[in-house]
Amino acid sequence: MKKILLRSFEVLILLIWIFPLAWLVITSIQLESDVISSTLRLWPRNPTLENYRKAFGSTQIMHWMANSMTISFSTMILTLVVDAPIAYAFAKIKFRGKEILFWAVMAGMMVPFQVLIIPLYQQFNAFGLVDTLAGAMLPRLAMPVGIFILKQFFEGIPSALEEAAFIDGANRYRIFATIIVPLGKAAMATVIILSFINAWNDFLWPLIVINDTARYTITVGIANFQGTHGTDYALIMSGALIASIPQFIFYAFFRKKIIAGIAMSGIKG
Amino acid sequence: MAIPGNKDTRDGIIFALPFLLVYLVFMVFPLGFGLFISFFNWDILSSGAFAGWANYRRLFQDELFFSSLWHTVEFVLITTPVLMVLGFSMALLVTGNSPLRKVSENVFFIPYILSMTVVGTLWAWLMQRDYGLLNQIVRQLGGEPVGWLTNPKQAMWSVGIATYWWTAGFNMILFSAGIKQISKEIYESSQIDGANYFQTLFRITIPLVKPTAALCLILQVIASFNVFGQVYVMTGGGPHGRTRVLTQYIYEAGFRYFKMGYSAAMAYILFLIILVISVIQYAALGKERS
Repeated sequence: MKKILLRSFEVLILLIWIFPLAWLVITSIQLESDVISSTLRLWPRNPTLENYRKAFGSTQIMHWMANSMTISFSTMILTLVVDAPIAYAFAKIKFRGKEILFWAVMAGMMVPFQVLIIPLYQQFNAFGLVDTLAGAMLPRLAMPVGIFILKQFFEGIPSALEEAAFIDGANRYRIFATIIVPLGKAAMATVIILSFINAWNDFLWPLIVINDTARYTITVGIANFQGTHGTDYALIMSGALIASIPQFIFYAFFRKKIIAGIAMSGIKG
Repeated sequence: MAIPGNKDTRDGIIFALPFLLVYLVFMVFPLGFGLFISFFNWDILSSGAFAGWANYRRLFQDELFFSSLWHTVEFVLITTPVLMVLGFSMALLVTGNSPLRKVSENVFFIPYILSMTVVGTLWAWLMQRDYGLLNQIVRQLGGEPVGWLTNPKQAMWSVGIATYWWTAGFNMILFSAGIKQISKEIYESSQIDGANYFQTLFRITIPLVKPTAALCLILQVIASFNVFGQVYVMTGGGPHGRTRVLTQYIYEAGFRYFKMGYSAAMAYILFLIILVISVIQYAALGKERS
């Protein structure tokens, strides 16, 4: 009896927690006139995909999705390109000043991004990067999150493998390409997945650096949706759902990696 | 690994170089440049006159700065304790022996993968005054509609509620990792000694999960101090500026009113505050450990 009560309570909590998401879907398949109604309906009277047609057809949502895709994919790849080599250096190469350099890089995690927005805007203005997708993406590359995860993992790769390759005449670059990269795949996957999600969810900087609505990222576009579509909540919710599709796909495929990456680095997006 | 005849220092620097370049241009330089700007009356395109400490002096007479700072602190106080308890409770559920633990982990974590603008938009709709779900339910129960986002006393709590839903799952992941590290033998021996669930919880799980809780607390306080997106989307800082937080004021000063020097000065004060809090927390953590 006690067990049944406990389980029912659990189920109730879970239903409450998932309900906002369900409501997002339910609102998005209702007619606008049914949404703005004072009778509470838990299931739509006339389920419709009209809002999705409108969202795709008459808003710039596809542009924004494409922009966010471009930014997130580039961030993901470039993050790996800059983070993996330095993580290898920190994990496996003994060089002068390494300790100091490591702490100098990790200290970057302490810097709140707000401190950088004014100077970065001035810099980007001078470089002609304001209102470009590259401008919206570049500052993310300087965040040392991935380095920490990769370093931890690379340290676990046995040095005997590298030594054997050295004796066979391989240099560092070869070792990096033929031993470290293939063996570090799991950690690199974690890093690129986290950097994709973080780039996709980025908000403050794209809001600042992009002015042209056609170059908005999806997060900025959705944030301004309420301003331009007023009380058409059915349309707004369908836009919000479309904006979340890539995350749902990523989550479905990489659930374990996402969770392991967070548990390992404790990085709050 | 040192290999005779190999130039380790050269290799180390070459491997570090790509990141270091990016780091210098997009982190180190702007960090110094921002400090520089904070001593000028700087508008959008051209650098203005040297202002000395004027921007910082002005801060201490600016009521908006203090109210924004207070709203930020208020948000930290509203969110941190609840998010810690929620995260820990969720972690207990998903690391326990309930048949629902896998489902629960997904249900609790999924909101976190959504972007904060989607979360903010969704909750602004749920909390909409006339047709939003929450007030529909309140009405069904015979109550008066609540001004979730329009009542000055309620609005910050409403932003907090959306934030609970959004990020509790993140804390759950950290706490679960901490709980899983506790060795099974400890639990087994307590079971042999006849300890009940609550004795085990308070004598074993909670004391042993303290280091995780400390990490979680530090991350949570910092994340809450940086709050911006939820407020921007849900209330825009309103009603009557009642939910305007510091990051929003920094953003508005810089990019709506183009007082860049002033905005930079404010950002540095925020940085200083976060730094001091982190140092205190880390120091307390170190003391606890020793």
